[in-house]
Amino acid sequence: MKKKDFIIIAVVLLVAGILALVFHFAGGDPGGSVRVKVDGKVTGTYALIEEQRVPFDTKYGHNTLVIEGGKAHIEDADCPDHYCEQQGEISKTGETLVCLPHKLVAEVVAGEASDVDIIAK
Amino acid sequence: MNSWKKYIALLLAMVMVCAMALTGCAGKKSSSENTASDEEPYSKDIFAMDTYMTVSAYGDAGEKAVDAAVKEINRLDALLSTGKASSEVSELTANDGGKLSADTNALMDAALDLYESTDHVFDITIYPVMKLWGFTDQNYKVPSDGDLKAALKLVDASTLDYNKSKKTVAFTVDGTQIDFGGIAKGYTSATVAQLYKDYGVTSGLVNLGGNVQTVGFKPDGTEWRIGIQHPEDENDMLGVVQTHDQAVITSGGYERNFEEDGVVYHHIIDPSTGYPADSGLISVTIVSEDGTLADGLSTSLFIMGKDKAIEYWKAHSKDFDFVLCEDDGTLVVSKGLKDKFTPQDENAKVEYVS
Repeated sequence: MKKKDFIIIAVVLLVAGILALVFHFAGGDPGGSVRVKVDGKVTGTYALIEEQRVPFDTKYGHNTLVIEGGKAHIEDADCPDHYCEQQGEISKTGETLVCLPHKLVAEVVAGEASDVDIIAK
Repeated sequence: MNSWKKYIALLLAMVMVCAMALTGCAGKKSSSENTASDEEPYSKDIFAMDTYMTVSAYGDAGEKAVDAAVKEINRLDALLSTGKASSEVSELTANDGGKLSADTNALMDAALDLYESTDHVFDITIYPVMKLWGFTDQNYKVPSDGDLKAALKLVDASTLDYNKSKKTVAFTVDGTQIDFGGIAKGYTSATVAQLYKDYGVTSGLVNLGGNVQTVGFKPDGTEWRIGIQHPEDENDMLGVVQTHDQAVITSGGYERNFEEDGVVYHHIIDPSTGYPADSGLISVTIVSEDGTLADGLSTSLFIMGKDKAIEYWKAHSKDFDFVLCEDDGTLVVSKGLKDKFTPQDENAKVEYVS
């Protein structure tokens, strides 16, 4: 191969690298979302990049899923224990918010990879 | 090469690399499908035993094993629930004892072993006291001293007349009530782990409301990384335990509690006082091959406090390891976890016990 060929290969690799970076950090990866299930049935999926308040009124009761700053938490629950409001914010794949009395589970899907497989609590 | 060929080659190369970059991103997106392969586990989630559970297993046998696990969990829930009048446990209480099925016999045996070994800290006859506090039906209230004293008289597992080989138990004191809640989830996760093995599953994870059971290693051959919930910050962890084929079970006052007149009352009741344990520990994690033991000991060691917990471990160090968190944030870790536990806060004070 000639010197020119090496230059072409180098240019291709450089361009590919830049493109990979662009896809990784920009539009190519839309970030995670939160999938909400009530009684085991998926009722909706909500992107974490969109600031939103999603009310859930089911036969079990009311909860509001709030997404702010790429993280989700629960507010305004009318369950007796209010534990769902005390579970903090979720943003990493597999993290959940659970309202037992309302059989409501919000889980992050395809989000930022978690450092752990599961949390014992 | 002619120069036009070079440009075509260049163009093709770029198209290929772009395609790779794009599919690389797309691959990350499809991470939660319910398909059983080496990459993604087959998973199911259910509400049972008053909590939320997820069971997952990798490999070809994953789907069948998980479906069987869900069935098994529902079967055990129906057997052990104190909230269902038809459950075996409710019938035992209603009839002051009776014949035990294989599962309740195993649970009774484990419960009474724990009662002895923990010096009566673990006691399945605590149920009347839990009921008074409202921890059984979420009608939380601080009981009156009189009510509590009366209920405490019924807390004494030594009054259970148990015959292991005949599989029978008789309640010798009127009003005695039992609840396997302190070990039921650990027993269930251990049962599921065995079921996975029977189905040939070599990699799986069982999460029964925060009670974790690992089966085998991760599909890539490394150990599972199990975070331990921080007892004072719901968005933080105390640290990470790396493990395989073990249960990791954490107890803390943060799990279930209520506030009355500015005082927080949690659900881990000390059977010697009838009040929430106040031992200086705010979280106890047990790591053990025996899920039933891990479940029972997480609350027992929480009630015992640091010194007695260490003493207990020294007498049973082959059976389990622990991570204790004291109310000043100090972590106390038994030596079996020395190379397996990583504190989340690198400045945390960690004492290793051997």
